[in-house]
Amino acid sequence: MGTDAVVLGAGTAGMVAALRLAAAGASVLVLAEGEGGLPLAPAQIDVLGYRPQLVLDPLGELAGFLESRPDHPYQLVEAGEVGASLDWFLELSAPLGYTGSPRLNRLQPTGLGALRPTCLVPETMAAGDLSDGGSVLVVGLRGFRDFHAPLLAENLALAHPPSGAEVRARAVEVSLPGDPRDLRPQLLVRRLEERGVLAELGREIRSRLEQEDLVGVPAVLGLESSHEVWQGLQELVGRPVFEIPTPPPSQPGQRLQQHLFRALRRLGGEVRLGARAAGYRARGDRLVAVKVVTAAREVEIPADHFVLATGGIGTGGITAGPDGELREEVFGARVSRGGAPEQPLVEYMATQPLDRVGVEVDEEQRPLGGGGGALFENLWAAGAALAGAEPWREKSGEGISLATGFRAARLAGGARA
Amino acid sequence: MNTLDTDVLVIGGGSTGAGVAWDSALRGLHVTLVDRQDFATGTSGRFHGLLHSGGRYAVKDPGSARECAAENRILRQVAADCIEDTGGLFVSTPEDDLEYADRFLAAARAAGMEVEEVPVGTALRDEPRLNPKIRRAFRVQDGSIDSWKMVSALLRGAEAHAATVLPYHKVVEVLRHGDRVEGAVMEDQRTGQEVRVHAGCVVNAAGAWSGQVARLAGCEVGVRPGKGVMVAINHRLARAVLNRCHLPSDGDIIVPVRTVSVIGTTDHPVADPDDTECSPEEVHQMIEAGELLVPGFREARALRVWAGSRPLLPKTGGSAGAGDREVSRSHTVLDHGARDGLEGLVTIAGGKFTTLRLMAEDTVDVVVRKLGRGSECRTRTEVLPGSESRHFYWIGNRQQEAETDPPDDPLICECELVSQHDLDTVVARRPTWRLDDIRRALRVGMGPCQGGFCAFRVAGMLHQEGRYGRAEANSALREFVQERWKGVKVISWGAQARQTRLDRWIFEGLYDLEHLPE
Ligand SMILES: Cc1cc2nc3c(=O)[nH]c(=O)nc-3n(C[C@H](O)[C@H](O)[C@H](O)COP(=O)(O)OP(=O)(O)OC[C@H]3O[C@@H](n4cnc5c(N)ncnc54)[C@H](O)[C@@H]3O)c2cc1C
Ligand SMILES: Cc1cc2nc3c(=O)[nH]c(=O)nc-3n(C[C@H](O)[C@H](O)[C@H](O)COP(=O)(O)OP(=O)(O)OC[C@H]3O[C@@H](n4cnc5c(N)ncnc54)[C@H](O)[C@@H]3O)c2cc1C
Repeated sequence: MGTDAVVLGAGTAGMVAALRLAAAGASVLVLAEGEGGLPLAPAQIDVLGYRPQLVLDPLGELAGFLESRPDHPYQLVEAGEVGASLDWFLELSAPLGYTGSPRLNRLQPTGLGALRPTCLVPETMAAGDLSDGGSVLVVGLRGFRDFHAPLLAENLALAHPPSGAEVRARAVEVSLPGDPRDLRPQLLVRRLEERGVLAELGREIRSRLEQEDLVGVPAVLGLESSHEVWQGLQELVGRPVFEIPTPPPSQPGQRLQQHLFRALRRLGGEVRLGARAAGYRARGDRLVAVKVVTAAREVEIPADHFVLATGGIGTGGITAGPDGELREEVFGARVSRGGAPEQPLVEYMATQPLDRVGVEVDEEQRPLGGGGGALFENLWAAGAALAGAEPWREKSGEGISLATGFRAARLAGGARA
Repeated sequence: MNTLDTDVLVIGGGSTGAGVAWDSALRGLHVTLVDRQDFATGTSGRFHGLLHSGGRYAVKDPGSARECAAENRILRQVAADCIEDTGGLFVSTPEDDLEYADRFLAAARAAGMEVEEVPVGTALRDEPRLNPKIRRAFRVQDGSIDSWKMVSALLRGAEAHAATVLPYHKVVEVLRHGDRVEGAVMEDQRTGQEVRVHAGCVVNAAGAWSGQVARLAGCEVGVRPGKGVMVAINHRLARAVLNRCHLPSDGDIIVPVRTVSVIGTTDHPVADPDDTECSPEEVHQMIEAGELLVPGFREARALRVWAGSRPLLPKTGGSAGAGDREVSRSHTVLDHGARDGLEGLVTIAGGKFTTLRLMAEDTVDVVVRKLGRGSECRTRTEVLPGSESRHFYWIGNRQQEAETDPPDDPLICECELVSQHDLDTVVARRPTWRLDDIRRALRVGMGPCQGGFCAFRVAGMLHQEGRYGRAEANSALREFVQERWKGVKVISWGAQARQTRLDRWIFEGLYDLEHLPE
């Protein structure tokens, strides 16, 4: 039996496209060299956070933002479809308790204590929206090197949400029972899944609470059983508890990744990791198969429809050479700088030459070839592979992946019908 | 205003100034050493890291070659902990004149270097990555030398002999009384406070900046800053220092330094020694040059780029208007009393890191004569703090240490195996550290991740320990990402571009550093 759709890339964009295609009845195979951004990312779904001023209503302000960004990937998608993709995601990720609305950004503390706009968050972070102020006890864990509660709390106490409400924050450091040594996140997560350890931590936090009405902890509240760990801790502490993102690897990111993988499997789809696409076979303007390298063996995988969701510079979907040449690795699709300057600027916090690099596509999200027309009629691109965005600055990463992955599946599905 | 009295005021805390401080202190003089920044942040912290055998100068500048050969031998005895005994090879690539190789061998012997020709097959066996088309190979006593360790050992040694060292103290005024220099006024770069130092003798060891300092005293020193670019690659591509056997030119040396290799360098006259920008063209020139010594060099991942300014002095002694004369790599001690009728000021200019000890000896000989005090030079035999065991530094040491580190001493930098304890030790030594100074001292953030992970850890820990205030920690991080960008922006390709993207996500996406309060 042939495969209806092959999706290249197992990041958010690829998984969204795969899930949508599978839900519509297609047989789907996801091929990915690695895992992409998901297991590293905090799994907060950004849509638009800065334009460059703070955005409160992402969908409402999208059109205004796009006026100054003709090359932005959101240009491809109607605001209505962005909203639809987020609604779909909220439903899909209900088991992780995702909440939020694309009409209203939340302001959640970062690991350094900045108040950062984002749209949808899992239940374990839900209480961390400080748009209307709040008083937070920030809890550090002794020996955990990737979370520094005092600096976080001091910065957070200076945050000014636009509502004018006051944010207060105080840091405490607690020890986990047992071994106080170097706590890598992977270890920490497992320890917190032990009942006794969690109880001890809960008691300790409770005893340190003063006036605070919220408790912020590093995002290490379990992997498989995060609901139980988070819920358990809230009960023990007697206050709403929320996770604050830590640097990679990210537990919330891995939870979301596992969830998406499982959801696809339930729909009969398959994810094959360690499979690098390194070429293709085409007939005329139809793509027939991709060539995939697994464990030093090259195989051809034929399908009717293909989605290119290989990410950009960050995951190797696009590479930059020492002489400045840019290459989309699988199809040699046309790559654009998305309006970024040619030469690096001195100031780091500015748009740099490779920041907006991605493939160029037509209105239907089909990558362009050298001639300027679509490379293949049955290949669509989505996510960080698209040119024109600076998602880390404008806070739009997962939103772009969701909207364009969602749309790529619709376009491919339309072509299928 | 604070006022201090001292015998010798040394301006500049690079290798030269630190050497002068150590030498003077051993002769029983009271020394005060100042630098406008942290130590070894001028050219000494931006150099190639080669402990010269002398081979580079053998044909063109035999005097320098002889000095290097002799000083190399001495430093191996007194500063072993700062040196990696890599050895070195001079090889004739297909583009190099074979006749030069004969001249090289003769000149090297004449300069007193230990040198032997080795069969090409042997060289290739020892250095499998070396260009298989090389036609001749000579083994020499090159090494690699850690600037930060060296300067810090010299200063610790001087401090043990009552020296005062003041980082972040910029000389803003030279105190003159008629035809005599009597000291200087420093401005503390962190607090803005002024400090006045009265000295029996002032030594201008400001390297490429020594012209600027001399001008404060009202005289001219014609140093001409010559900028050189270096690129670090994320592997140790060779065991030994690899040199092309030809007349010295650009990009013809690869120095293995700890876990990385550094290729360099260039030489462009610049007006301002603080001009250390590197252009993409310069970087490509280095990468292409590396290809000739080590085929496949292009594919290696470039980690960081930097440049330093040579303090070159025209052979005439740098009097104004010396013109375009041949510039010497050897050093010169300028006695401004004899030269300009201005007593109490001595400038030491030119030279090399490798010859820092000799430069200091020559300088302090003049100082002692002027002060009419001070004993004989002892730096030939006095072993520096940290080098008592006389064991050379070896990368394996660090790995062994890390494996036997107490388990409750967590690593804060996996790339360079730096532990919490290392951080505490270094910070305890001097309380006013910038993140970038710590990076240099511990090599935190110098490995493949270039600080993406550990910069936040270090800032957070120092804040937690009360060493950084909140705003200081924030600005330290901002400064760190900015400083690092300077080092990677012209090598953003391949794996480095991926790393840069990940860092974008971490510092801006995850922490939102851009919107953090001041
Ligand atoms: C540290 C970090 C923090 C982040 N934080 C946020 C956040 O807070 N909010 C937010 O909205 N977004 C965030 N993001 C962005 C987000 O996680 C995704 O990276 C983004 O949505 C892009 O997803 P993608 O699926 O397009 O690409 P990626 O996630 O980059 O996935 C690309 C996929 O393609 C595969 N691939 C590449 N080349 C090939 C090939 N030749 N053959 C086969 N497979 C290939 C890769 O292995 C990978 O599976 C963060 C990212 C990172 C790294
Ligand atoms: C690219 C390059 C590569 C090199 N490679 C090698 C090599 O491999 N091996 C080798 O042996 N030599 C090498 N050299 C030469 C060697 O690095 C230098 O000769 C040596 O480091 C100079 O040391 P210094 O102390 O004289 O100068 P610096 O290290 O520059 O010290 C001068 C100090 O003066 C300070 N200063 C300036 N103005 C003031 C002021 N107003 N008040 C207070 N302080 C002030 C500066 O901050 C600086 O720290 C290289 C040089 C360059 C440029």
